Formats: sequence, C-alpha cells, structure tokens
Amino acid sequence: MSAIPRQDMGFVEAVDNTAETPGRRAPLVLNMTRFGEVTHQVARVNEAARPPLAWTVAFLISLALVGFLGFCITYLFFAGVGVWNLNNPIMWAFDITNFVFWVGIGHAGTLISAILFLFRQKWRTGINRFAEAMTIFAVICAGMFPGIHVGRVWLAYWLFPIPNSMEMWPQFRSPLLWDVFAVSTYFTVSLIFWYIGLVPDLATLRDRAKGTIRQLAYGLFSLGWRGSNRHWHRYEVAYLLLAALSTPLVLSVHSVVSFDFAVSQLPGWHTTIFPPYFVAGAIFSGFAMVTTLAIPARQLFGLKDLITLRHLDNMNKIILVTGCMVGYAYGMEFFIAWYSGAPYEKFAFMNRALGQYAWAYWIMVSCNVITPQLFWFKKVRTSIPLMFILCLAVNIGMWFERFVIIVSSLANDFLPSAWDKYQPTWVEIGTMFGSFGLFGMLFLLFCRWLPMVAIAEIKATMPQANPHWEGYAAHGAASGGATAHGAAHSPEGGAKS
Amino acid sequence: MSHAAAYDAPDLSDRSIIGTGLSATARLALLVGFVCLAVAVAIGWRSEDPGHVAKVWLQNWLFGLAIALGGLFFVFIQHLTHAGWSVAVRRPAEALMSNLLWLWAGFIPFVVLHLQGRLSIVWPWFDMAAIRSADPAEAALVEAKAGYLNPQFFFIRAAAYFVVWAALAFFFWRNSVAQDSDGSVARSSRMERVAAPATLLFGLSITFASVDWIMGLSPAWFSTIFGVYFFAGCCAAGFSALALVCLRLQAAGYLKGVITAEHYQDIGKLIFAFGIVFWAYIAFSQYMLIWYANIPEENTWYLARQLGEWKWVSAALLLGHFCIPFLFLISRWTKRYKVGLTIGAIWMLAFAWLDLYYLVHPHIPHGLGKHENYAALAAAHADESAHFGDPLNWLMLAGVLGLISGFTLMRLREHPLVCRRDPRLDESLHFHNI
Repeated sequence: MSAIPRQDMGFVEAVDNTAETPGRRAPLVLNMTRFGEVTHQVARVNEAARPPLAWTVAFLISLALVGFLGFCITYLFFAGVGVWNLNNPIMWAFDITNFVFWVGIGHAGTLISAILFLFRQKWRTGINRFAEAMTIFAVICAGMFPGIHVGRVWLAYWLFPIPNSMEMWPQFRSPLLWDVFAVSTYFTVSLIFWYIGLVPDLATLRDRAKGTIRQLAYGLFSLGWRGSNRHWHRYEVAYLLLAALSTPLVLSVHSVVSFDFAVSQLPGWHTTIFPPYFVAGAIFSGFAMVTTLAIPARQLFGLKDLITLRHLDNMNKIILVTGCMVGYAYGMEFFIAWYSGAPYEKFAFMNRALGQYAWAYWIMVSCNVITPQLFWFKKVRTSIPLMFILCLAVNIGMWFERFVIIVSSLANDFLPSAWDKYQPTWVEIGTMFGSFGLFGMLFLLFCRWLPMVAIAEIKATMPQANPHWEGYAAHGAASGGATAHGAAHSPEGGAKS
Repeated sequence: MSHAAAYDAPDLSDRSIIGTGLSATARLALLVGFVCLAVAVAIGWRSEDPGHVAKVWLQNWLFGLAIALGGLFFVFIQHLTHAGWSVAVRRPAEALMSNLLWLWAGFIPFVVLHLQGRLSIVWPWFDMAAIRSADPAEAALVEAKAGYLNPQFFFIRAAAYFVVWAALAFFFWRNSVAQDSDGSVARSSRMERVAAPATLLFGLSITFASVDWIMGLSPAWFSTIFGVYFFAGCCAAGFSALALVCLRLQAAGYLKGVITAEHYQDIGKLIFAFGIVFWAYIAFSQYMLIWYANIPEENTWYLARQLGEWKWVSAALLLGHFCIPFLFLISRWTKRYKVGLTIGAIWMLAFAWLDLYYLVHPHIPHGLGKHENYAALAAAHADESAHFGDPLNWLMLAGVLGLISGFTLMRLREHPLVCRRDPRLDESLHFHNI
C-alpha cells in the first residue's frame, strides 16, 4: 500500500453516503484513502494504553451483573428450581424465554457474514466482525439456560447421547434433543467462521504489536499467517465454503427452537408457520441488537468512517423487512386461529390479546410491529437517537414475544380448572439481567482486545482496491469515491470506451 | 475508460437486442396455445365430471400465474436491493411478469360457473347444504369461516389481487421500457421506491390468493404457512422460466455477450436457493409439524395425499422437487453450462407444475375417522387415481404454456431485449462471480 503515493488517491469527501444515485455505488468507507489508515483506525483501539472511561464503567457494571448471575445460579443449584416460580402448568417461563431470546440475538452475525456474503452485500464488511462476536456471546448466554434449568444439574450431561452402562439414552424423537445438536453445531461453525475471518487481522495486530506478551498472544492465534497469495487463496475458499455451510444453519437453528413448541398440540404453540416466523424474528432481534451496540461502539471508538450512516440505514431496512415478516406471522396466526374454527385456537389468541398477559402481548405488538414501521421514513432510518430508541424497543419487544408465546399458552390451555398464573421471582429476574451482564462483559473484552472491524475485508470494498480504479490512471481525479464503471451512460457508450 | 480493453465488449447492436424476428415464434406459440385450449374445452364440455375439468383448468392457470408472479417478484426484488448484476436479464423477467396483464382472464370460467350456481364443483363451500348433508361435523367448521369464505368477499378479493398484480406489472414494465428511450435515472429511483410497498402488497396478495384458491379447496383444513409455501412454488416456477427464456433467446442468436455464464450461474443460484431449498424447508416445516402433532383437524390434508396413487406423487415431489435437483444444481458447473441449466430449469418447471397438481387435485374423503386404523383407510382408498392419463391435463398445460410463451415473446418483440439504458447495465455486463 505504501507503493501508492497519497497524491495519487482520489479523496473521498465526508458526504452523506446514505443517498445512492442509480449507477453510482455510494462509498462504504469515508474520509480514508489509504489502506493503512483503515488499519490504523481499527487497530488503535486495541493498541491504546488504556480503554476509554465509558468502557471501564460499562465493564465494571457488566462484571457486577456477572457476579450477581453467579450468585443467582449458585443459589439455584443449592436450593433447587423451586426458587423459580415454575409450577404446573407453567413449567417454562423466564428460563426458556431467555434461551430463545439469546439464540435469536445470535442470528444476526451469521446472517451478515454468510447470507449477506452470498448475496454480495459489500456493506456487511463494516459490521460483520462484531456481529459475529455477538453471535458467539449470545449463544453462550443462550446455552447456559437449558443447562441450569434441568433441575439436577449434575446430570446435565444426559442432554448428550453418551453411551453408558445403564443404557440410558436421550429421547431422539424430541426436538429438545435436536436443540442440543442444532445449537452446538451452530456455535461450533459460527466460532470457526469468526476465527477464520480473524486470522489475517490478528496477524496485522501481531505485526504492529509492541511488547512480548502482545506479540506472543497475537502471534499464537494468527497461526503463522504471512499474507502470501497461497494463504489468501485458501482463506477465500475456506470463507466461501463456511458461508455456504453456515447459511442453512442460520435457518435450521431457530427452526429447531421453534419445533420445541410447534410439535406439541398446545394452542398457540402448534402452528405451521413457526419455523420461518422464528427465523425472521431471530434476524429481526439480532439486527436490532447489533444496531443497539454499533451506535455507541462507533461513537466511542471512533469508527464512524467505517461503520457509516449507510451501514446503519441498511441495518434499519433489514429490521423493517424482518419486522414486517414478524407482523405477517402474528397476523396469519390470528387469522388462521379464527379461520380454523377450532375453539381452543380461537381462545388461545383472544386470550393473548385480552387475557391476563394482554399487557405483555401489547408490548410485543407495539415494539415489534407498530414502532418499526417508522423505519419506512429515511429521516428515522438515518437519525441516530431515533434508531437507537426503536432498536431498543425491538429488543424489548422480542423478549416479550417469547414470554407471551411460552407463558400465555401454558397458563391457559384446555381446561380452566388447570389454569394458573405466573410471576417471576427475584432469582429469575436476577438471572436474566445477569445474562445481559455476561453478554456485555464478553462483548467489551472483545472490543478491547480484538479488531472490531474486519480490516482486511473492508479494504476490498474501497474503490482503491479495484485494479481498474480510475485514480491509478487519471492522477487524483476525484470521482466522489464511486467507481466510474457505473456512471450513467448508454450501453453503446460502454461498448465504445 | 482506460480499462475497457480488459473486457470483451458485448454486442449491443440492434441485431442482437431487437427481437422483431421473434414474431413468427410468438404467433406460433399463441396459435398452439389457443388450439390446445379450444380442444381441451371441446373435450371438457362433454365430460361427465365438470368438477375435474374445472380443477384441471384451475391448476394449469395457477401454474401460469406462478410463473408470472415469480417474474414479478424477481423484478421488484432487484429494484428493492438496488441490484446491479441482474440488469442484463431483467427484461425477460419483466416480459414474464407482464403476463399478469391478461392472466386475470383465466378466472372468468369460475365467474361463469358461479353465475350458473355450480362453483361448488371446485370450491365445495359454495354449496353449504351439500357439505351439511355429507358431513355435519365438517359443515360446522366451514360455517365458522363464513365471514371469509362467502361468494361476495371471494370475488371482491380476487378482483383486488388482479388489480394489484396488473398494476404492479404495468408500472414496472412501463417505466423500464420508457427508460430505454429517455435513459432517465429518475425512473430507476422511482422503481426502487415503489418496490418497497410492492413487497408488502405482493406478500399479502399471494398469501390470500393461495388461501382462497388452493387452501379453500379443502375448506375445513388450515395451515398458517400456506402462503409462504405458495410463494416458494412461485419462485421455483418463475426463476426456472426466466432461465429458459434467456437460454432460448441466446440460442436464437440474441443477446450475445450480454447474458453470460455469470448471469446464468446467478439465476441458477436463485432457483437452487428459493425454488429448491427454501421450498423444501417450507414443505418440510408444514409436513413435519402436522405429522408430529397428528391432530385430526390438520392431518386429513396429508392423509388425502398419501392414498392410492397420490402417495407416489408425494414421493415424486420429495425426490424431484428437492433431492435430485439439489444434487444436480449445487454444482457451479451445471449452473454455468447452458445444457446443464436448461435441464435443471425444465426439470424444476415440471416439478413446480406437479407441486400445483398435488395441491389442487386430491380431495379429502368424507368419514376418514370411520376406519379402524390407517391400514384400513389406505386399503379402502387404494384405487384413488391421480388421473395422469387424462389428456385434458396435457392439453391445458400446453395451452397455458403456449399463451404464456407467446405473450412473453410478443412483449419482447416490441422492445429491446435488454434494459439498454439502465444506469446499472454496465455493472451487470461486467460482473464476475468469484
């Protein structure tokens, strides 16, 4: 990169890159013309002597919450699941709500890195790294809940089909067991995908590292990466293959989670749209969480030129699309419950909207269907405070969605004499907030020690990376950052030139 | 542009992109279509089972609709995502989509049947008295839906779908061909803006159309995923038809160097992703959940599809709509090689047709619960026929395909075969799959 003198580079102006004239692709990296600047911008966060004050404060809060999580879980282990307010008929509540919520959060990362990669969405490079990191951390939080909710935790390994002398096997016909496989496969592949993507950037940090410990640590994990053509070739092949393998996983994990409910005969749980509806909801909540964290992160660590307003605009569009899909599913469920003519189906949905959990239902509808409609307006999609509030609302709404599905269906099923109501105890609430602390702690550690933006990948989206970039020929010719290929002209013109 | 030497300049001469030479083929296709339909009507008129004839028409007409709706979806999703790669193949998709401007006419036979008071031969709920006498329990379920399943609302909804589809097809077609002459970039922006609400209208209209016309054939049955299933079928039919139109145009000497292996690979990927894998995902979700819960409100629909010959149709769909094309089109090579993609696209089109056959024709026998067990039920209905030998199937299929291809070619004949002044055409001509 040093071979290209600075005066030969077109300078990308600090323009509003959310507008795109057809034929001219908007720039994805702002105010930077040299690849070295991108490296510096990202790596300086990890190389700073100490983190920003806000990071330290957030980290301490997260750490406190993790401490409380540890306390709640220890208490649970000693006292038994009775410390949760679960009882017949409401055997699942906060525990599985949190599980499904966190698995859902873990969907954005792999969608961005795999599906958007296959769809050639270059803007994904600005956000894929930390969205993938969030995936890993969210799945860790999710995996915790089934583990601790089993009651006799010392037998939690029975979740896995381990041969033993008692010939005790898990029930292979149960989707709860499929979950174990689906989530652990997803975690493994996501982790490998994330790590493979990290290798070139870890090598960059290694090469820049001052101090033996840093050199050793980054050196160890960069696996001897030297950036040779052969390395890059294998890297690209591995990345494409992992993207193709991860794509069905994005759909399968939450589909299997939805089977936990939908294979039953319980009204409100048993409905055929559950698999795609859960997947859309998971992407919806995952993107909302990525946006919620991207906004402070780009501010705090000075990444606004890499995670630009255009990235956030695109994220908000996906939130709008998936929010509409979720709304479609809510609507279809209601419509078909009525259309089915089955009294239990009808009751289950009327009870959601008007029964004892109506407050939770209307929080869910407001946050997931009504307020995201504001994203139809570009002003809202490009306003940082508004999108932050709307995305927080989506996070809340999606938590309540799982709560409504799980609790309202269990609380009021077929026989009124078997009905009950549910209120969480402080242990359940504490465990939920504690899981946010765990997620926050892992995320903050990641921000501090690993490159938050895919340095190598994002450079490829810059016009300077295009071998046909006109800046190489026409010295310093400013093209507004877009390649000249797309300039509006007739095809005849294109054929002549 | 100094880099242009690196590319093979595509042939955008009039000879390559002006399709006036398509007239003869178009006229021949229309003629074949009309003749086949006329013969089919002549045979069907004397049939002893007018319900079956009407359903054969319904299924083949839905097949035509699925192709055109798939084309519409392709067009507006490209605008919605500001896609660059697809500009070179968008005009053929727009021509397929334009069939929505006449396909509403295929609904007229059902209006006529209704005016004769005989529409219950297709959708049983048009005659509640008959259901009541045959199966009072089912009648109670169907009566509960009367707020939705009643003739007035049914026809109002149908009119609404046709208006939405024709309006969208008209809008995208008109702006696209107008851009050929004025080259206005604003038209691209306008189509991008309209594509977003178009997505909502499209999603809702095809959902309720499939509920009305297919799910309503078994009025007691219900499934929340059904609209999504029909959408996946539209993708399989529409994208496969698009591949075939592009391949045929190039075989006839048009669009040389404009449509490349890169475009074929991408269309192949879309067939693979949406028409094969997504379809299988949705079909599996619906089947697995109904099979697993096994409640009598729902399982009847699948029971009807595993009696007699229908079990072979079900198995053929599993293999032919998923397993075989999955293995065939997963390769990069088959999607880029013209013969490979031709085979894949014809195959998928055939199975999209069979999928609709499987959705429309089987009927749920009354009194399924009277049998002692499943074996007794299967034995009692072992002679259930899928009626593949009926020439009406093939005549009407030929009729619909003739009209669709004739009309598509007519449209392509009138305008350049490529969106020649689309601002992203250059991007489309030069892109490469890595």
